[in-house]
Amino acid sequence: MNLRLFYMFLAIVLVLWVLIPIFLITTLAFSDRPSVFAWPKGLLPQQFSLETLTFFFGVEGVWKAIRNSLTVAAMTLVFSVLLGAPAGYALARYRFAGADAYRLLILMTRAFPLAILAIPLAVQFIQLGIYDTAFGVALVHTALALPFAVLVTSSLFLGIPKELEEAAWTLGCNRIQAFLRVVLPLALPGLAATAIFAFVISWNEVFAATLLTLRERTLPAFLLTSLNDSPLPFRFAGGFFLIVPALVFIFIIRRYLFTLWGIANR
Amino acid sequence: MASIRVENIEKTFGKFKALNGVSLEVRDQEFVVLLGPSGCGKTTLLRIIAGLEQAEKGRVWIGERDVTELPPRARKIAMVFQNYAVFPHLTVLENIAFGLRMQKATPEKIRANVERAAALMHIENLLGRYPAQLSGGQRQRVAVARALAVEPEVLLMDEPLSNLDALLRLEMRAELKRLLAESRTTTLYVTHDQVEAMSLADRIAVMNTGYVVQYDEPMKIYQEPANTFVGGFIGSPPMNFLKLPVEGKQAKIQSLTLDLPTAVSGPEVLLGVRPEDLEAFTMQQPQSFPAEVLVVEPLGPHLLLTLSFGQQHIKATVPPDFEVKAGQTLWFKPQPDRLRWLDPGSGQALTVR
Repeated sequence: MNLRLFYMFLAIVLVLWVLIPIFLITTLAFSDRPSVFAWPKGLLPQQFSLETLTFFFGVEGVWKAIRNSLTVAAMTLVFSVLLGAPAGYALARYRFAGADAYRLLILMTRAFPLAILAIPLAVQFIQLGIYDTAFGVALVHTALALPFAVLVTSSLFLGIPKELEEAAWTLGCNRIQAFLRVVLPLALPGLAATAIFAFVISWNEVFAATLLTLRERTLPAFLLTSLNDSPLPFRFAGGFFLIVPALVFIFIIRRYLFTLWGIANR
Repeated sequence: MASIRVENIEKTFGKFKALNGVSLEVRDQEFVVLLGPSGCGKTTLLRIIAGLEQAEKGRVWIGERDVTELPPRARKIAMVFQNYAVFPHLTVLENIAFGLRMQKATPEKIRANVERAAALMHIENLLGRYPAQLSGGQRQRVAVARALAVEPEVLLMDEPLSNLDALLRLEMRAELKRLLAESRTTTLYVTHDQVEAMSLADRIAVMNTGYVVQYDEPMKIYQEPANTFVGGFIGSPPMNFLKLPVEGKQAKIQSLTLDLPTAVSGPEVLLGVRPEDLEAFTMQQPQSFPAEVLVVEPLGPHLLLTLSFGQQHIKATVPPDFEVKAGQTLWFKPQPDRLRWLDPGSGQALTVR
């Protein structure tokens, strides 16, 4: 019983650890200037106002950064699904030499420190002429999102019985038709979840985006570079705007993430 | 409608030889069951005929067409899977119509065929539902209707009843038999259930370790097994095999002598006799031999006796009202025309009747 209480306590601490910053950022993003600077801060929003957010959106470069972020995230989403889903399908359906090694290798790309890659990557991007472009950043973000896309779609396709495809073949489909008519409709919700997850990874990524852009900053990169010389309300509003889409999307697809990772860990 | 012919099919999975040169012919409109224990290659053979697996050697004909190199969609077959494989995102109607839509059939033809197939399977009232709203038995009906709707030349069924519960299986079995007799589609049916095989088949191909061991009508398979494997696999309880000494042209069970159909070279011979073909008596009879009763199991329609005969154990069934206790010695008279003689070394039958 004591152990139970202890776990409960631990869980509460962890939840607060995550929730309190989000709560503070949210309330202060919707407060007026004086309460942002006030100390001690009240637990509840003192003065509801859109002043802080309006100020945030009024700062030069914010809209451009948001547009860049959206462009990069959308490209990442498309690339991740288009590259990740076929790889996941292959992992799920075919037994080929090195399948397990391949699976491991995919995960290893996540373990590889981006900091080591960053400088050579920047040099290479300059030579290729894609430095400081949305496309260049999207390529790196795709590399980051791809391991998840491959593993999640692989378990997604594993969950769709092979017999359904075989039944479609015997009923007159070729492989592509069977995929489009049977597998794809069944995989669609999971694929959407994968896409959204890739979007969120890209939306929140700051390191590669900062290193690989100068003028075409994404929102996190823009905020990071302008953080030190910007007023407090700006930081709260910016933080809020970064957190919210990620939270909303993850909340929408949480069911898929849980079940898919449950299978992927098998 | 067409015949199926496979010749010298060989298939290996890694180091495991699944099929060792199997040849088989299913006549037009015939219902053939592939029967065997798990791992005998029966499902692999079916999948090779469907085109879902590729054989390393051998050829497959459907009717006059050599379909060996053709993909499943071009073979004019339909298949019913063990787990039904009904498309969960389509209604029952769309499931049944799926094959016809792929053939680009006219809307009138689609409607007519779907209605006919649904009526055959008694699922007309379920057409608007999704598979998730159906029971296992209903899903199986949809799977069969979907296969019949495309009017295949050949129907392939892979253990279609094994996922159903016992009562439903019995019901579906009778219904399948009626249905396939009606539609007259050439059918190849895979099962490991010998009762299912006996009850459905025109002919049974018994498979073991990648070979077709015996291919004959159900009652022939039951009464005249080609070897000890078939005799032991078919029938519950299985056939008894008694090792008997040979004297000239006769075999001896103690005082009882039985004529052998052919000359035997070795000193011993194997007698195959079904448990129900041993008639039990409490007193000695002419042409009988004694055995001690070890166990009595009342099974309802009959009593199952386990007998000790020398070092060997025998099973025999007697009428339910037969008075018998464990430890008692009974006299058994084998039905002379129901005996099967086999070679004790190879296990093969001495005569092919």
